[in-house]
Amino acid sequence: MAEAPAIEMTGLSKTYRGGVVALSGLDLRLERGEVLGYLGPNGAGKSTTLRLLLDLIRPSAGGARILGLDVRANGVEVRKRVGYVPGDLRLFDRLTGGEQLDSLARLRGSSDTKLRSELCSRFDVALDRPIRELSKGNRQKLGLVQAFMHRPEVLVLDEPTTGLDPLLQEEFRRLLRETVDDGRAVFLSSHSLDEVQHVADRVAIIRSGRLVDVDSVESLREHALRRVTIHFADTADATPFAALPGVQVDAVDGTMLRLSVPEAAMDGVVKAAAGSPIVDLVSEPADLEEIFLERYREVDDGH
Amino acid sequence: MYATLLTAVFPSIHGSPEFSKLIESYPDTLKTLFGISGDFTTGPGYLDGELFSLMLPLLAIFLAIGSAARTLAGDEDAGRLELVLAYPMRRRSAVLAKGAAVALEVAVFCVAAFVALIALSAIFGLDLRVGRLVTAVAAVGALGVFHGWLALAVAGVVPSRALAIGVPAAVAAAGYLIGGLEELAGWLHPFRYVSAFWWIGKAPLRTGVSGTGAVVVAAAALVCVAAAALAFERRDLKTP
Repeated sequence: MAEAPAIEMTGLSKTYRGGVVALSGLDLRLERGEVLGYLGPNGAGKSTTLRLLLDLIRPSAGGARILGLDVRANGVEVRKRVGYVPGDLRLFDRLTGGEQLDSLARLRGSSDTKLRSELCSRFDVALDRPIRELSKGNRQKLGLVQAFMHRPEVLVLDEPTTGLDPLLQEEFRRLLRETVDDGRAVFLSSHSLDEVQHVADRVAIIRSGRLVDVDSVESLREHALRRVTIHFADTADATPFAALPGVQVDAVDGTMLRLSVPEAAMDGVVKAAAGSPIVDLVSEPADLEEIFLERYREVDDGH
Repeated sequence: MYATLLTAVFPSIHGSPEFSKLIESYPDTLKTLFGISGDFTTGPGYLDGELFSLMLPLLAIFLAIGSAARTLAGDEDAGRLELVLAYPMRRRSAVLAKGAAVALEVAVFCVAAFVALIALSAIFGLDLRVGRLVTAVAAVGALGVFHGWLALAVAGVVPSRALAIGVPAAVAAAGYLIGGLEELAGWLHPFRYVSAFWWIGKAPLRTGVSGTGAVVVAAAALVCVAAAALAFERRDLKTP
C-alpha cells in the first residue's frame, strides 16, 4: 500500500461568521520528506489554513487529511503525530520556560526528555525564568522546542522564526533539513520568501484565500530574470542585447549597461558582450521577492 | 474572617430580648429576603440569617464563576488555548477538566467553611447539629458549582470572559431575589422554579435542604457542564 501523503487538503474552504471568505477551495498536497513553503502576505489565509489542519477551527467546505487521517474525525490521533507553532504564540506567563514545557509534555503523556533537552541547549532556551520576563525571541524558542520535542512526523509551523536572531534562524533551517532528511514533513508558512527559499523544496503561494501557484524553488528561480550589469571599456551599445529573445534593457549610462535576462538567454548575453572590451560583469540572481510580486501582478491582471 | 466575626457577635445577641425586638421591627420584606424568622437569637437561626442566606452562597458563587471564567474564557481570550488544544486532547475533555477544577475549588471552600463553623460553634456555643451543617454547607457548594458550570456553558458558546462572568452573575442575582421575595411579591411566585436559591431554601440549618431541591440544582449543574462540553466541541476557537 502506498504511504499516505503527509498532508492532503481537498477543496478546503473557510468562511468566517459575517461572511469573510478566508480560504476558498484549497487543494494542496505535501509529501513526506518535504518542506513546503506556504507564502502569502499577511491576511492571505495562511493561519486559517494551519488552524484548520489542527482542528482549531472547522472548514465551511472540503477537508484535510494528515498521514491519511481526517483531521476532523481523527483529530486526537492526528495531533499526536503533529507539532505546531502558532502564528501568535501565547504561553502561560506565570510559568517558567521549563514548567511550561513540562506541562505541555504531560498533555502528550510523554516522559522522554532527552530530545527536549537537546533542543533546549541547541537553541539556548531560557528554562528557569518566568515567561513574562522573556523577550519575544526567547518565547518563540520555547514555541519551537515544544513543537519538535515529541519527534512529530508532520510539523505545521506558522511564521516560526519571528523574533529569532539570524544565527538561530540558520540553526532552525538546519533543524528543518534534518527533520525532512528523516522522512518527516514540514509545512512552513511565511510572509517572507527570504525565510523560505533556502529551506523549502516547493513553494505554494496564496493570496486572498486562493492558491496562486505551487512550484519548486528551483523552477521559480529558473523563470526568474537575472539582473546583469556590464561595464564596458568604451561607450556601451545596447543594440546587440536588445535583439536577444527575452532580454530587456533596463538602463544605458555611458559605459554601463543594465539588463534583465532569463536564464536561457544568459549564454547569448555573454557572447554578445564579448564583442567589445569589458571591465566588469555582474549577474545577480533575482530575489524571489520579485518573482513573488510578479506572480501577484499576473493574478491581478487576470481579474 | 467574616464567619468568625459574625459568630463572635452571637453571644451578645443570644437570648437578648432587645435584639429580638429590633429584628421584629425590620420590614417584612427584609426579613424574608434575609431568611430571618422569629428565631434569629438561636444559633442555627442566627447563622441561617447571617451566613447561609447570602454570604456563604455569594462567596462560593464568586469563587466558582471567577474560576470558570478565568480558566476557559480567560485562557481563550488571551490566546493560550491555541497551543493547548493543538495537542492530542479532546475539546470536551478540556471543558470537563475545567469543570472538575471549579468543583474542586468550591469543595475546598466548603470544607474550610465547615471546619471553621464547627470550631466557632464549639467556642461560642452556637449549638449546631453536625448533620445539618454538612447538608447546609453542601447546599452552598451546590449553588457555587451550578453557577460556575453555568459560566463554563456560556464560555463554551462564546469566547467572552465578560459574558462568562456577567451571565451567571445576573442569574445568581435574579435567583437570589426571586428566592427571597417570591412569597411577598405575588408576581414573582410563578418564577420561583428558575431560582436555585428557592430550590435550596432559605434556612438550611433550621429546616434542612429538600432532597428534590438538591437534585434539581445538581441536575441543572450537570446540564450546564454538558452543554459547555458540547458547545465548545463544535465551535471555532477564537483567533488569538
